[in-house]
Parts: sequence; C-alpha cells; structure tokens
Amino acid sequence: MKITMYRADAFTNGPFTGNPAAICPLQNWLSDETMRNIAMENNLSTTAFYIKEGNGYYIRWFTPTFELELNGNATLATAHILMQHEGHQGNEIQFNSKSGLLTVKKLGDYLTLNFPADEYERVKTPAELSISLNIRPTECYQGKTDYMLVYNSEQDILKLKPNFRAMSLVDARGVIVTAPGTKSDFVSRFFAPQHGIKEDSVTGSAHVTLTPYWAEKLNKKDLTAIQLSKRTGHLKCTALGNRVEISGQAITYLKADIFVN
Amino acid sequence: MELKIYQVDAFAEKLFTGNPAAVCPLQKWLPDATLQQIAMENNLAETAFYVQEPEGYRIRWFTPALEVDLCGHATLATAHVLFEHEGFSGHEISFNSRSGILKVTRSGDYLTLNFPTDEFEKVKIPPELAISLNIHSKECYRGKTDYMLVYENEKQIKDLKPNFTSMLMVDGRGVICTAKGDKVDFVSRFFAPQSGVDEDPVTGSAHTTLTPYWSRTLNKKTLTAMQLSKRVGHLKCVDMGERVEISGRAKTYLIGDIIIATA
Repeated sequence: MKITMYRADAFTNGPFTGNPAAICPLQNWLSDETMRNIAMENNLSTTAFYIKEGNGYYIRWFTPTFELELNGNATLATAHILMQHEGHQGNEIQFNSKSGLLTVKKLGDYLTLNFPADEYERVKTPAELSISLNIRPTECYQGKTDYMLVYNSEQDILKLKPNFRAMSLVDARGVIVTAPGTKSDFVSRFFAPQHGIKEDSVTGSAHVTLTPYWAEKLNKKDLTAIQLSKRTGHLKCTALGNRVEISGQAITYLKADIFVN
Repeated sequence: MELKIYQVDAFAEKLFTGNPAAVCPLQKWLPDATLQQIAMENNLAETAFYVQEPEGYRIRWFTPALEVDLCGHATLATAHVLFEHEGFSGHEISFNSRSGILKVTRSGDYLTLNFPTDEFEKVKIPPELAISLNIHSKECYRGKTDYMLVYENEKQIKDLKPNFTSMLMVDGRGVICTAKGDKVDFVSRFFAPQSGVDEDPVTGSAHTTLTPYWSRTLNKKTLTAMQLSKRVGHLKCVDMGERVEISGRAKTYLIGDIIIATA
C-alpha cells in the first residue's frame, strides 16, 4: 500500500531549522501498529496522521515508541501541509483529537495555535534537578507537567550542559530553562531525558508556561521567543488570560510516497 | 531546488526491520555543507549521495554529524535504489569512494558486498569492557577496529544490557557480541557508544570479523547470520580467505522529493 507523506519544519522560516515533523494524510485509519512502525521508521520526534472528518480533521500523533496525547509542533506542521499542499480553503482549520478540539488560524505567514495557559507555582528546586545542571537558576517553578527554571541571561541558557542521567530521575515530563533574550523577549531550552528526548528542538507546549510568566514579568501581552536548541525555533506568543496563542511559520522539506505492507 | 530521495531498509527481510539509510541520486555534487544539512535533516544513521561517473558511480556517506569513510549498509541501499528504481540494468555496480572501489553484485533479490577480511587476535578482556557487560563472555578478540566477545548461546546475546557509560571508556570503534545461533549459524549485536551509537541495528562491517571466526569455528564457508538488535537484520556471509562477501536483501520504504529552500 502506498501512502502520501510530507515532512515540514515548524516554528521556522529557513531550511534545516525549527522542529521537524512527518505528516501522513489518510483516507482511513491504519492499525496502531502500522502507525507506530511508520513513526519509528521516520525517526523524528513526531509523525502526525489525519483523516478528514466533517468540516475539519481528526489528528493523531506518534513518537517512534508511543502515541501522544497532544503535540503542538506537528499540529502546526499539519496545518501548513493542509493549506500549502492538500487544498484546504480558508484561514482556519479545526482538528479533533484525543485532547479535544484544536483550532489553527492563519494570519499572513504565521500559523497560530491556541492552548490553555499552564498553572504553575514557585517551588524549591528539587535536589535531583539541581545536581543535573551546571549553572544555578535564580527561580524554580512547577507547572502541571514540567519544571521551569529561570536564569539571569541568554548566555546562561546557551552554556547549560545538563547531566541527562541525573535529570532523568526528575519527576516531570521535562525541564524548561529560560531567561530574558537579547534579540527576543525571552529565550528557552527544553530537556526531557525522562521521555527519551535529551533536548527538544522547539516545544510549543513549553510556551504555555513560559508565556504567562514572561507576560507578567515584562508587563506585555505580545512576546517574541527563541528556543535556543541546535536547530533553533522562532515563536510569537500572546498571553490571553487563561489561554495562550502560540504562532510560527513552517516550511516543507519532503513530499513522498511511503510503502507499507 | 528539488532533489530525489529514497529511504531503504538494508539487510531486511521485511519493511521496518534492517538498517535504514537515505539515498540521494545527484546530477552533480552539492556543497559539502548542503550534503551535511540534508543528512542532519533526514536524521537517519546514514544518508548516501551518488553521482554517475564515466565508469560507475561516486558515492559519499554522511551521518547527521559528519562524513564517514565507509558505510556498507548505505552502499547496499544505494545499489538497491539503482537496480530497482533508477534503471541500472547490469548485475554488478562499481562505486568509487573515499575507501576506494566497492562492488555490489546482484543475485536474485540478494545484494552482495565484498570487503577485506578483518585480522584479529585473542586477548585478555580489558577491565573497562568486562564491567560494562552484565554477562561474562567466554572469549575476547581484538580486531583492527572492534573488540569481539564470544558467548555461550543466543539467549545470552539477547539478555545483554550494556552499561554504555562504562563502555564509552573502551578503546576502538565498538564492541561486537556474538554466539552460535538457534536458527542461523551465528547471531550478534554491535554496541558503539564510543562512536555515538549505543546499539547499531545492522552492522555489515562487524561481519568482516564475525565471518572468519565462525567459518573456522563451525568449519563452513557459507554462513547465515542474524543481528539481534531491536530492528533485527538478516545477512548471508561467505568466507573467501582474504575477502568476505556479505549479502542481504533491501526494502524500499520511501520515494520522494526534498525541497532545499534558499533562505
């Protein structure tokens, strides 16, 4: 059986940067095992599969080892593919998913995702988190799924070299590190050795914690952000009270047929 | 600019097994930086690029991080692309490379690579290697680039759980672990944390050490082998004295076009 597959880099406008995702438009669902195999074979952090449903689409996301509840980066990449290559008309796409309804809106070159804002509280840095980092943060917060460590400068963020073995003992989805930016309102990196990803290239979901924090700190609703992974991601974020808008561009890298027996 | 790209599973009896490689046929060479970026973007162990020359093809191999001198499985994948999809009509393809001429021959749906046989000698197991493995091996050999540890049976090979942090201290390219197979002549696994790969899915080059060893031990020249990584690889090996023939099948997973946007 032959299936169309795309790859797109999300949260970037240049080649070989941003967060790569594979996207497979389907007529009917494949078996979960086949979707897991495709995601494993692609060896990217996420492969998204979607089928048309009513006026919108149903979307599912797979890592090389399991199915995810939610993935912003691959949703943005999927919206890009629908608008650029698969003939979706209009500037808004509705995705239904395991995590409910997700809407992607297009404005100019930017695609915008809308998420619930994270709730977080200031905590003492857990010992196992403290020892996993070579530079001490100034503050530590705990959100619903991640820790967020705040640093003084972009230089600190660039110089961080986590001990992933120690960090994998931290009880969380992952660890966000952040500081004020020199070319953007704030910068960040995201580590998740607990889930087999030492460092994620661009993490939309981390910005549901980052945006309310920096909106309050800098006293502005619209923020520019750079995620300082090796691949680098560019995001625009807007704090809307209990929601957060996260916007980025995307570019297509690959259009292909894959063969699945 | 658009380029053709393939993704192929080498040493695979079926899709989603074996060792995946990307293969890009080129009309002419692109800048090294572009080849490196394509390999990084593909995020597979190797991406092979080739250009047709008056006599055969010139092949180069890139990991996501650097260009490498030789890669057997990506060469097998490239030969598969030429035979199956790019209209090559003969039975033998000659690749010129950084490591000299490499020939791939086709026999049925098996593709055969031909390599120099490794030279190895029995050694005392280095302590840093011994402590990195949860099961004691019965013999230790040292080849030109790898250690080879021989075990009692296939189950021990499956049950191995290396401590990759201590294995990092072992000198050389990597560590081959092998035993007599239940369904094939021998089985193996290949660990190379020193080279940035905890466990390789299928390792053609390790079989230049494995083949002469098992050929002598089992007293047969033609051997069937399985590499017991999570993905599993199937190989046929022939001991020809100073050379080793390593054969496998390949399966096409993807045919497409990549778009190199100019920023």
